[in-house]
Amino acid sequence: MFYRQSGVHHTRYQTARRLWPLPTDQRIVWLLLALAVAAPFYMSDLYLTSYMLPWLIWSAAALSLTLLMGIAGQLHFGFAAVMAIGAYTSIHLTRAGVPFELALIGAGLMSAVIGCIFGAAALRVKGLYLVMATLAMQYLVDWTIINVPAISGGAQATLSTPSVSLLFVPLRGDTALYYGALLWAVIVTLLVLNIKRTSFGRALVAVRDKDFAAAVIGVNPFKYKLLAFFTSSFLGGVSGAVLAFCYYQAVTPEQFGFNVSIQLVAMVLVGGLGSVIGAFLGAGFVLLVPIILTNVVAYAAVAGWLTVSSNLLAHIPLMVYGGLIIGFILFEPLGLAKIYDNIRKYFLVWPFRHTQS
Amino acid sequence: MKGLLKGLAGAAAMAAVGFTGAAKADDTIKFALLQDFTAVYTFVTDEYNQGQRDYLRLINEEGGINGHTFEALIRDTGNEPQRGIEAYNRARREGAVLVDFLSTPVSRAAVNRVLEDEIVMITVLHGRGDASDGQTFPFVFPMMATYWSQAALLADYIDNHGGGLEGKRIAHVYIDSPFGREPVPVLRELAERKGFELRTFAYPSPGNEQSATWSDVRRFRPDYVILWGAGGGQPVSVREAIRNGIPQENILSVVWMAETDARTVGTDLATGVKRFEAVATGTDYPIMQRIMEKVIEPGHGAGPRENVGTTYYNIGVASMAVAVEGARIALEEFGTPLTGDKLRRGMEMIEDFDAEGMMPPVTLSEEDHQGGGYGRVSRWDGSAWEPVTDWFNAHQDIVWEEIEKDAAGFREGR
Repeated sequence: MFYRQSGVHHTRYQTARRLWPLPTDQRIVWLLLALAVAAPFYMSDLYLTSYMLPWLIWSAAALSLTLLMGIAGQLHFGFAAVMAIGAYTSIHLTRAGVPFELALIGAGLMSAVIGCIFGAAALRVKGLYLVMATLAMQYLVDWTIINVPAISGGAQATLSTPSVSLLFVPLRGDTALYYGALLWAVIVTLLVLNIKRTSFGRALVAVRDKDFAAAVIGVNPFKYKLLAFFTSSFLGGVSGAVLAFCYYQAVTPEQFGFNVSIQLVAMVLVGGLGSVIGAFLGAGFVLLVPIILTNVVAYAAVAGWLTVSSNLLAHIPLMVYGGLIIGFILFEPLGLAKIYDNIRKYFLVWPFRHTQS
Repeated sequence: MKGLLKGLAGAAAMAAVGFTGAAKADDTIKFALLQDFTAVYTFVTDEYNQGQRDYLRLINEEGGINGHTFEALIRDTGNEPQRGIEAYNRARREGAVLVDFLSTPVSRAAVNRVLEDEIVMITVLHGRGDASDGQTFPFVFPMMATYWSQAALLADYIDNHGGGLEGKRIAHVYIDSPFGREPVPVLRELAERKGFELRTFAYPSPGNEQSATWSDVRRFRPDYVILWGAGGGQPVSVREAIRNGIPQENILSVVWMAETDARTVGTDLATGVKRFEAVATGTDYPIMQRIMEKVIEPGHGAGPRENVGTTYYNIGVASMAVAVEGARIALEEFGTPLTGDKLRRGMEMIEDFDAEGMMPPVTLSEEDHQGGGYGRVSRWDGSAWEPVTDWFNAHQDIVWEEIEKDAAGFREGR
């Protein structure tokens, strides 16, 4: 009823291969895009700058990682380091006078090259051993940033982002920063969606499912593993730069520590491996749920509904958050994206539940 | 689904507005204590925050300042900058005029924002040391001795009470982070001036395992060891130092060494270890007596009673004492309503404020937001940290060189 499929006849390959073949899906996407574009007009600055903005940027980062982990099947536990390389490169480039747009590309290339060097381990090892190699990347990059004052910015280890303009619009003020982040999130989303339906994406999936089987059918695992690391690190690096310029406005090494890498992996896993909407949902869950829980518990305490010690009070959100993660994983091991998919499938045939979907 | 999340956020927002709307009163002054209760700074936050809240409660019990009472807005940031920024934006909307993150990463991320929003940020014993330059950082107040001042003071203590610095071998053993590295330039400069040999030794974060570092330290055969760590790494450092043949009396530590650390090392084993002290410990001070009488005894305390009077509790009390003094001056000089800018100007007028003997006299000005860099050295005597010197400061010329250098870097965008 909501997703009317009757009357949708694909007579050309182009229509059958559209990103969203059903009119309802298209309407939903346009509606969400319109909501996102109009956000500065109906959202207060608190929700725009503290919720929407970081959510979009982290979604872009999670999408970059899901390209590598979900689609190409290469585990990466050092993705925050990739973002750090992008952030620091972009700042140093803009300070050297390079236009911001070029600095973003430079940031992506730098991350891609360094990411590929560590990703080369994937040519030899798989699974947990690859996790170790990428962890090494995390710690090496952290160590380098902290120990080279020319990179970190000296004793205070803080670099403020210079004021820049993106496509002739100065990146200043909440609205401009928000649109900058939105633009990048839309670009990454469309790119990953499209990669999934190209020969490149299918090659990555083949490598993910069994790399020597992929070699048998003529997909070069060597090439495609490196390409996966290259593309994903490029996107991750630019996301790191966007995070630095549009959100933090000052970078420090702690912003890209090991715990951030784990959060990124959690975003991808909780959202659903390899799913685009999963990256958005996962980023929202990992990033925003702790904040919302902390506020709910704090208001409950102020209102006098929760009279416990302040120490316990601070830890209640953590307990609930942990419980939520376990609950979601038990309820649907394939992640939040699968829950969305189940709901969508239900409505696809609603109200005739015995129809095949 | 995007819409659903947005809806969630909106619902939380409406709930928030509902709650605060009911609790709002115009003449309360709001201090936002948005700290790390769950991640890295847990070793200090509970006691520190308890001290802050008990002091604000004391001021409220005594009738506030000209009828203005204080309200503490408290949130956990988990030491994550993005959560700190969210909590900061929320507190700003609720009308906070002062924020205290007690977290270096969050404070660093917030510097540009507080400068723009004109909200006072106190960075007691954390954050950027160069924020002592009040002209570059008008709204940031380190308020107590920076790490540079602490290093200079400890070196000066060895110079005056430990047989002179000349020809000594001093090991700076630090956690491998910007925090651990921070005092190095000051110590280098002092080594050159005073003619002692300085070598630095880093141990990996978080510092549970330091044995490899300490065998290097042992080969260096230092006369004195300066420990630069925080939390769980500190007792490990002390133990390793003792195990490697360094006498307790020759171990000096940065401010982050408290009763719990001495107990973890072993109260007897730790006897003789020295540390920098920014605020007096114990309850033998008028403010602490009044807190006991008016807050703790009637059962209004913010936490366990045994924390009252500990090192970090008292630092919390002192931080709020200075802030409230600033607010008092601001209200007297500039009248209501208290804004961030008025509070800043009030705090810059604080002169020789010592919280009734609890802390060294603090004098803040438009240029100097550090307040002189005073402190003293105290020694673990087996049951408590006993001061072995008076309040003093040392080598502020070197400290200010560093402050100006880094502040200039910040002005250039670094």
